[in-house]
Amino acid sequence: MKQRVRPPVRGVALALVTALAWTVTGCGTGSASDDGTLTVWIMEGTNPDAGPFFDEVGAAFTERTGARLDVQYVPWPDAHDKFTKAMAGGTTPDVAEIGTTWTAEFADAGALADLTAHSAAAEGEDDMVPALRTAGTYDGKLYGVPWYAGVRALLYRRDVFAEHGLSAPTSWPELREVARELKEREPGMLPFPVLGDSEYTLDAFVWGAGGELATPAGDGWRSAIGDREAVRGVDFYTSLATEHGTSAQAATTWDEADLVAGLTNGKVAMAVAGSWTPATIVGDRPELAGKLAAAPLPGSDGGLSPSFLGGSHLGVFHTAADQELAWEFIELMTSAEYARKWADQTGYFPGRTSLVERAAQRRDPLVAPFARQMADAGRTVPVTPAFGEIQGKKTLARMVQAILSGKKSVQQATREAAAEMDESFGD
Amino acid sequence: MATEAPDPTEVPDPPAAPEAPAAPEPPGASEPRGATGAPGTTEAPGAVQAPGPGAGGTSGAGRAPGAGRSPHRAAAPGTATAPARAASARERAARAARRRRRSRPWLLLAPALLAVGGLLLWPLGRVVWMSFQDYGLREIVGGSTNYNGGANYAEILGQSYLWTTVLPNTVLFAAVCVALTVVLGTLVALLLLRLPPLWRTLTASTIMMAWAMPAVTGTYVWVWLFDPFGGAVVQGLGSLGLVDPAATNWFTGRLTFYAIATVNVVHHSFPFVAVTVFAGLLTIPRELHEAGVVDGANAWQRFWSITVPAIKPVFLVVVILSTIWDFKVFVQLYLMPGGNGANPAVLNLGVWSYVESFAQRQYGMGAAIAVLLTLLLLAITVVYIRALFAEGREKGESL
Repeated sequence: MKQRVRPPVRGVALALVTALAWTVTGCGTGSASDDGTLTVWIMEGTNPDAGPFFDEVGAAFTERTGARLDVQYVPWPDAHDKFTKAMAGGTTPDVAEIGTTWTAEFADAGALADLTAHSAAAEGEDDMVPALRTAGTYDGKLYGVPWYAGVRALLYRRDVFAEHGLSAPTSWPELREVARELKEREPGMLPFPVLGDSEYTLDAFVWGAGGELATPAGDGWRSAIGDREAVRGVDFYTSLATEHGTSAQAATTWDEADLVAGLTNGKVAMAVAGSWTPATIVGDRPELAGKLAAAPLPGSDGGLSPSFLGGSHLGVFHTAADQELAWEFIELMTSAEYARKWADQTGYFPGRTSLVERAAQRRDPLVAPFARQMADAGRTVPVTPAFGEIQGKKTLARMVQAILSGKKSVQQATREAAAEMDESFGD
Repeated sequence: MATEAPDPTEVPDPPAAPEAPAAPEPPGASEPRGATGAPGTTEAPGAVQAPGPGAGGTSGAGRAPGAGRSPHRAAAPGTATAPARAASARERAARAARRRRRSRPWLLLAPALLAVGGLLLWPLGRVVWMSFQDYGLREIVGGSTNYNGGANYAEILGQSYLWTTVLPNTVLFAAVCVALTVVLGTLVALLLLRLPPLWRTLTASTIMMAWAMPAVTGTYVWVWLFDPFGGAVVQGLGSLGLVDPAATNWFTGRLTFYAIATVNVVHHSFPFVAVTVFAGLLTIPRELHEAGVVDGANAWQRFWSITVPAIKPVFLVVVILSTIWDFKVFVQLYLMPGGNGANPAVLNLGVWSYVESFAQRQYGMGAAIAVLLTLLLLAITVVYIRALFAEGREKGESL
């Protein structure tokens, strides 16, 4: 009886070990491109219907290189974790769409291939949108090629403004006056919400006041959020809520998604919003069609306040077997034809200045102002992995929330935020 | 009684080993509280791991080896005329058989141990290993190590943020949630016991819905209810003139934030307690309560001197499980406005660990926080398990 019982047990154990071994080795051979296939990760949701676009790109790519294109879609919220896991397991794709604020981090970790030489030899070199190019450059080398981006500017309710005879503000004092006017005449709406959990909205006011988030210092960086100009920007932005009542306590915990919900519900009259949001808002609430308009973010005494360009690079991973093939794909994607097609389908702007300038000439009140903002006053945040850490820690959002909820004064909050940032830059 | 009966089917009896009647105790047979369900299952692993002779349950353990040895000794004089070699050969065979018997449970456990080891212990070990390093993306990509001794622990334990914010948040929140969950769950269980079948079914299925709701969905519902901008609660109170909706945001205050989180967590977890305690209540013989009534005890007295002692192990189990769950609450806090790190006053250990490791990509730091959380939970669990076993022994003796 024992003779019969035992072998199966051993068999099971053996089978289990074999199975484990298979899965372990299976993990190691993720997406190699040794069979003439290029694996590409693209973020899901930017283009609501990305399938046909990549069918077309794939056909063109095969025609050009003979290699097959394998596009895999990654949802934005999981993307960073997925990249990290892939790096740990050695299963990164050949080419990937990488959020502009991640490129420096991945490059610093040694996961990306240096594209400087390829780019210098290509024709689009001088046409890259400067802020996106800065974001893709780390230690003097280009790791991310600008693909597309969006920008934040002023979005307002055209119908409400027309009803009360208001026009888009062109300076900070005007912005404040328009907001106060709206507060009086439209008590049911938030005139200008001040978001507690949106760092990029704040950035525009820091830059608009002539301040910086951080400045290069020696080998590293130094926080500049406690400097006089930056503090003035923070003070103006938060005072709209704390002194002039153009916001509500509710917005203290709002992020940009909450803002879009507020705009969609018709509860917000004017706000700093992304160039990609009007389409979403009108899509969710068709009766708002034609009632929204945009304007570039006014500067403190006229002109424009710089605003953050958020978008994507295309980068090549070190694990790509055929780096030339990977570059061919990037060149195809950033060519005028496909860059414009992608922009048209997604509502973002291409990463090429010439194409953005062309968009700025259009008459569409929801396109031209954003394009102008992007071409004339687009900026990016400090290009260092330490700044990614600061964003993860939400240092600047914490600062704004503490001011808005009355826990700290502007002076105290900015001073503490600067110290916290310097701590992150330090290690 | 079951403990005294040797089970003939338990072990195949090889002819070469006459001492086989020394059958191990049937696992669980010495376990006196099989009727209470859940507590029985918590003890089962102990009984399964060492069913061999001499390692059985408490009451019969001493008997089994003795019973095993005596037939052997009795046989020895009978074979005195045979050569001594036969006896020693038999001794060897017996030892081999015993060895086989001892190794068999491990063999049977091997798949489970492999799975647990591979999926749980190994990652756990990795986390500990990582917690002694400055481990970032660069280390992940390069596969290199970067030991910094106990610097992560020193930094965590050395900052006042842990002692004034995170730890109090974690411990107090868990304590309040456990207390409210158990009290509410018990009250609902008592209610269920008194309801007629139709209403009992209706009530039970209604509360099950709260339990079945995914934590993410439930959290969004509560956030939406308490939303300062159009949420039903704030608007309702605002229309009564009790609060000013424009100047109210309960998510920014530490106490109000946790009050909302507590409502959410208690609402989500009391059904489990209610159902478990209800199952325990069903096992209490009716006569006990009848005797109490005859003796003139009121409902309060009967609850404390009959119901509670009778199902104390059930309470222990729900308290342990609730404590563990409520200590590591994550989703319900992280998804609330400000809970993702934008409001440092409201983080607990779990969210802090996540914010440190995944949002800031300091995996070593996050790992160290996770290790501390695990140690804290282990300490609490050990205390409870000991209390549970002490309870079990007490009960075993009294029976």
